[in-house]
Amino acid sequence: MSAQRLNQILLVLLVSLTAIWLIVPFSMAILWSLVDPAEPWTADKLVPPVMSFYRWQDMWENSSLQTALVNSYLLAPSAAIAALALAMPTAFALGRIRFPGREVCKILALLPLIVPPFVTSIFFTSMLYQLGLHTWRFGAILFAHAIVFMPYAIRIMTVSFEQVRSDHIDAARDLGASAWARWKVAYLPALKPGIFASLLIVFIQSIEEFALAFIVGSPDFTTIPTLLYGTLGQDFVRPNAAVLSLILVVPNVILMLILERLLKSANPALSSGKG
Amino acid sequence: MDGITAGNLKMVFGDFVAVRDVSFEVAAGEFVTLLGPSGCGKTTLLKMISGFLTPTGGTIHLSGVDVTRTPPEKRDTALCFQSYALFPHLSVLENLEFGLRQKRVPPAERRQRLDAVIDNLDLALHLGKLPNQLSGGQQQRVALGRALVMRPNVILFDEPLSNLDAKLRDQVRIEIRRIQRDFGLTAIYVTHDQAEALAMSDRVFVMNGGKIEQADTPEELYSAPKTSFVADFIGSANVLEADVTSTNGNGDVELSTPLGPLKANSGAPPMGRKVKICWRPEHADLTATGENRLSARVTHRAFQGHFTDLHLDDGGNGYRIQTNQPSIREGDTVTFSLRSDQIVLLEALA
Repeated sequence: MSAQRLNQILLVLLVSLTAIWLIVPFSMAILWSLVDPAEPWTADKLVPPVMSFYRWQDMWENSSLQTALVNSYLLAPSAAIAALALAMPTAFALGRIRFPGREVCKILALLPLIVPPFVTSIFFTSMLYQLGLHTWRFGAILFAHAIVFMPYAIRIMTVSFEQVRSDHIDAARDLGASAWARWKVAYLPALKPGIFASLLIVFIQSIEEFALAFIVGSPDFTTIPTLLYGTLGQDFVRPNAAVLSLILVVPNVILMLILERLLKSANPALSSGKG
Repeated sequence: MDGITAGNLKMVFGDFVAVRDVSFEVAAGEFVTLLGPSGCGKTTLLKMISGFLTPTGGTIHLSGVDVTRTPPEKRDTALCFQSYALFPHLSVLENLEFGLRQKRVPPAERRQRLDAVIDNLDLALHLGKLPNQLSGGQQQRVALGRALVMRPNVILFDEPLSNLDAKLRDQVRIEIRRIQRDFGLTAIYVTHDQAEALAMSDRVFVMNGGKIEQADTPEELYSAPKTSFVADFIGSANVLEADVTSTNGNGDVELSTPLGPLKANSGAPPMGRKVKICWRPEHADLTATGENRLSARVTHRAFQGHFTDLHLDDGGNGYRIQTNQPSIREGDTVTFSLRSDQIVLLEALA
């Protein structure tokens, strides 16, 4: 078999796999969300016999979707900002200060991520109750998300802080820059990609998080995932679940694309000097 | 006094003494190079002068003012970094005016200072570019310009040419010296390249093991090194041990060496009964028939264009000479003379 033929087969295989992994589930979700209740979509039909936006409208008007959207889209950016702010001092210490055991600390900072989310959630919730933080549900979940997802922000920002060049800091100092001006000219440009990346990752983690939001928030406080799991669990309505899945996934994909562009535009400026 | 005065400067990192009791004076407008191998303390000394390191002991005065504990942002010094350290997200113009903005220099004066530097360093065509769009030499000029617009009394260079290729290095070397003279700056320049140090400096401080071994003009360092380290580090030198057999009041010293008896008269009295001596390979005169005649067999010959490098062996003692006679071959025996004033007496041996 020639190399060209092998390439062709591999390409077809890649496209087919992509289709199976991405296009099929997305298309199915879109089709299911458009199923009209007047006529069910049975296994013998390739596409739904009648399609409408009834499910979208119904979910919008008759479920707690609007509240869940507001909650989720307030919670996720707040959690992202809070996690970033909380991670900064630790990331600075791990990235800029040399001390014995630094590498061990870097690994320890990541350990919370390997514990199953439900286990963390149950114990974290009990702590929130003991602290009396559960009465303000939004605040409690925000606090929980910021803490639980902080390891992502710490790891990303540690790498970013390591990339800040000491000679840039020294040059700024030598030219008479104040601490704030040094931060702006030497730290911020190198940290920018890391800031974007950790904001986005914590945002996505928070918007998709179920366990903490469910245990701390239920029954009054709904987020999109708690609503989605409710739809799946109680009386399994697949079209409604499809609507919620799409609402959950599409903004994440858009945000990911925006981040990709931001990272690309932030990177080239980082190199100068010896090169 | 104007310029720089350092008194008993000391810098200790844990158990390691990087700089040990160094004292010196640099006159206003003087160009001084700190020269030495890696780890000799030259960069540590520069960092103490620029304020990035606070000395463990001793004092530093700039223009008569004690700045030993003054942070770099408050010192009247400007540092040119080895890596240039240009801010990658700022244009050339923004890089140049960064320091002026920090010091809140009024716009009119800022403009005037920038114009002078842009003109002097020929940067007008690059003002809107980012640093990564410039060549190494252009980046070096911007870094120099960024330091010069600050109009410091003292300008400090940390191996600024080490990232440039050999040809560009020569050009920038001349340019740095010209600008230093034009602006009347006191300059401290760190390098491990002895050719750079000899070509640029009014005086060179040769450093070794955290101390200044010798502070002298390039000519003095070359012709009258005081220690075997300096003799060996500046140019190439044949260093050997010798016993002093006799001295007289006129500075004549008779020596017993592994190469045979030699006469020296370098002006300085010997430091002890057993000393190190040195002579430069190019001082071997194959045509003369005078004093200090030596013979040896050529073991290796390297033609270098305007001279030929010969490695000689005299009964197990190896040394080098340089000659302008390219006809000498390996295996030949050469005879040459050394003038007594070209044999330099170095430190005493314990």
